[in-house]
Amino acid sequence: MGKRVNVTGIAVLVFFLLLSVLISIRLTGLGSHFPNPVGGFLQSVLSPLEKPILQLGNGIREHTKVIWDFQGVQLQNEALLKKVDQLTGDNLKLKEQVLAGMRFTELDQGQFRNPTLEKYEKVGASVINRNPTTWYRTLTLNRGSKDGVAANDPVIGALGLIGKVVSVSPTTSEVLLILDGEGQVSALVRSSAGNGTFGIVQGTYKRGSRLTPEGNLQMLLRREDNVNAGDLVLTAGVGGVYPKDVPIGKVVEIQLDPTGLLKTAFIEPLVNFDTLEEAYIVKMAGGK
Amino acid sequence: MRYVLIAVMFLLSLILPGTVFHFWSWSGIKPDLLMLLTIYIAMHHRLSSSVFWGLGAGLLEDLYLGRYIGMYTLTLAVVAFLSYWLAERWYRENFLLTTFMVFLVTAVGQILVAFLSLGAGLQWPLGDIARLVIGVSFYNAVMVPITYPLIHRSFLHGWLRYRPRYER
Repeated sequence: MGKRVNVTGIAVLVFFLLLSVLISIRLTGLGSHFPNPVGGFLQSVLSPLEKPILQLGNGIREHTKVIWDFQGVQLQNEALLKKVDQLTGDNLKLKEQVLAGMRFTELDQGQFRNPTLEKYEKVGASVINRNPTTWYRTLTLNRGSKDGVAANDPVIGALGLIGKVVSVSPTTSEVLLILDGEGQVSALVRSSAGNGTFGIVQGTYKRGSRLTPEGNLQMLLRREDNVNAGDLVLTAGVGGVYPKDVPIGKVVEIQLDPTGLLKTAFIEPLVNFDTLEEAYIVKMAGGK
Repeated sequence: MRYVLIAVMFLLSLILPGTVFHFWSWSGIKPDLLMLLTIYIAMHHRLSSSVFWGLGAGLLEDLYLGRYIGMYTLTLAVVAFLSYWLAERWYRENFLLTTFMVFLVTAVGQILVAFLSLGAGLQWPLGDIARLVIGVSFYNAVMVPITYPLIHRSFLHGWLRYRPRYER
């Protein structure tokens, strides 16, 4: 029992079906507004399901990223490590600067107030090198002729005298410490009674005396000079290099000379030269 | 139970491509699950029911997407017809053959979608169309070994089996 197939009817049906579909597609394209309650209902029902699935997927992807994208994560890790290094460096630099600033403030508040120093312009500097040669006890500071530093400018720290500038480059200056035997300072010992005794303080660090690398200070005095251990030694201001009344050190020991004419006062400097990081250069030579 | 399961599968086919397969997409290419489901259904039904399922599934997707109403309706109807026609001639127990069939039918369906889109005024370069058609067809074919054995068995012996009224 065969069915009769109406080919024309089917063709017409298919044609109109196609036409209506094409018209429908045309009318309901992107950006068109047409009532779609079924779609709206579907969306409202399915969206609560879709959201947690997507969130779960995102979570899984984030947590298993290292498996799927090992190379990417590795590259990212390397880049981040590099960045951490860089930032750590930056951070250290900043911290150093903050600390330096704090030290300068401390320096500025001053352990000693000196009316002679007030007259001169001072420039703060950081120690960038110590003892570049073994022959002299020197420091290199990060200020030079560009900042108005000149040779023979005295250099002082928070507690007292450090030395004097011996050579200047445009951006750095080399400071000969008072510990070095080459540098001599006209000084005065102020006893507890207030009397002053003049003399010359010199470093004990001598060229070639490699066995005693730590220099110290000594001062030759006459036997009758009234100097005792514990007395403060200050600059005398004679000689034109150092300003007056800058603390140098404290007398720790007095030894009589075998000849009986002289005695030597050993002086402990107030400044700890080993941990020195900041100093003021007093523009005396340049200011003249 | 059968209709509930089919409805759930339809809904999953609508949800999964945008969610789960969003993460498993392969340079933007996702499987067309609804097309895959339509092929499976058409393979296990008579011609008229196949085409009706195709029309229904297509209309559902069109309404869900909310644009170009009729595009998927027509496409999935054609896909259903083609699947039925091929399943009649090819041995549907052969999973390898089914995989190839899915690839072929999906390709035809995607080409139809592309042509209808061009007809609707979208301007896609031919290279993109070719890439998408081959990509989606391949992805759908890859889904067959994972999904088909289960669904095929269910259609034959399980919950998806069609039981005439007198049997119920």
